[in-house]
Amino acid sequence: MTSIDVGEGQLPIRTELAMVVEDAWRRLTQPGTWWGGAQRRAIAAEARNTRNCGLCRRRKDALSPYTVDGSHDDLGELHDDVVEAIHRLASDAGRITERWVREITSSAVSEEGYVEIISIVAIITALDTFDHALGRPQRPLPAAQPGEPGRQRPKGAKRNLAWVSTLAPEDVEPSDPNPYPIHGVSNIHRALSLVPQEVFNFFDLDVELYLGKEEFFDHEHEHRAISRAQIELVAGRASAINGCFY
Amino acid sequence: MDENKGESCVSNGALLTKFVEAILQGTYAEQLAARQSVRATLGDAAFVDTCATVASFNSVVKIADGTGIPLEDAKETKTMEMRDSLRLNEFRR
Repeated sequence: MTSIDVGEGQLPIRTELAMVVEDAWRRLTQPGTWWGGAQRRAIAAEARNTRNCGLCRRRKDALSPYTVDGSHDDLGELHDDVVEAIHRLASDAGRITERWVREITSSAVSEEGYVEIISIVAIITALDTFDHALGRPQRPLPAAQPGEPGRQRPKGAKRNLAWVSTLAPEDVEPSDPNPYPIHGVSNIHRALSLVPQEVFNFFDLDVELYLGKEEFFDHEHEHRAISRAQIELVAGRASAINGCFY
Repeated sequence: MDENKGESCVSNGALLTKFVEAILQGTYAEQLAARQSVRATLGDAAFVDTCATVASFNSVVKIADGTGIPLEDAKETKTMEMRDSLRLNEFRR
């Protein structure tokens, strides 16, 4: 165990959790596979900015977000289609449809770029939610790191499972980053696999926020300071509030 | 009967449910109160792990929803008993 500063004092935190949180912050603004460091930083900033968007508020309040047109209140750093993707994921992901995904990935946002956006939005949401839940102030985004994105799409990726292409474990090639031996082969691990590094980026963090592969299947031991039943209750309520079908 | 067991029959279930709701939907005052309650009842290490779990599931949902990944049949079957015992299927938005 180590400790984390929550302003009014220190709280105990698992050392592994503290480490992966810091690592996640660092990776957030490093060059990714399809977006550079500055772009990834801008995506994270725009995800945070979504709470200030009037269009997103009107859409959230509407019976269907697809009946409300308009322009997003954005930070002006990214293409409109990128902003649309970010804001929808950040504010109303539970009502995303396959048709919307098809439209977004036929726009200025490539399918690969969209998947990386999903990961960045998920990661900044995780980090910010953790700080918020603890009662910590929002952390400034790290400076963008220089370097070019890798721009390598797995040759074996296919659109045969989800609304985006995914890379099945049996189709991983030696040149692909392979998260499956470490994180498992559930569909949720496959979801971001069109950009395999993002599976690492999110789940390297999530295994300490939630549970890792071995811990998940171990119902005989407790791995956290709350019980498994308590973990699943919290998880279930958070998922329900988000309207998540998975 | 343990008065701290909510409708889910999980120890301190009502407290934890209230915490999640406060953090994700509540007012500033509700959040303050919820944090204090969890820390006082479950302890600081449990509080941090609860916060971590909320963070996980407030974020992973975006991956599932954004990609349209389907739930595995086996997972739905395997978790049926757990979901029934925790009464998770009764949760509504």
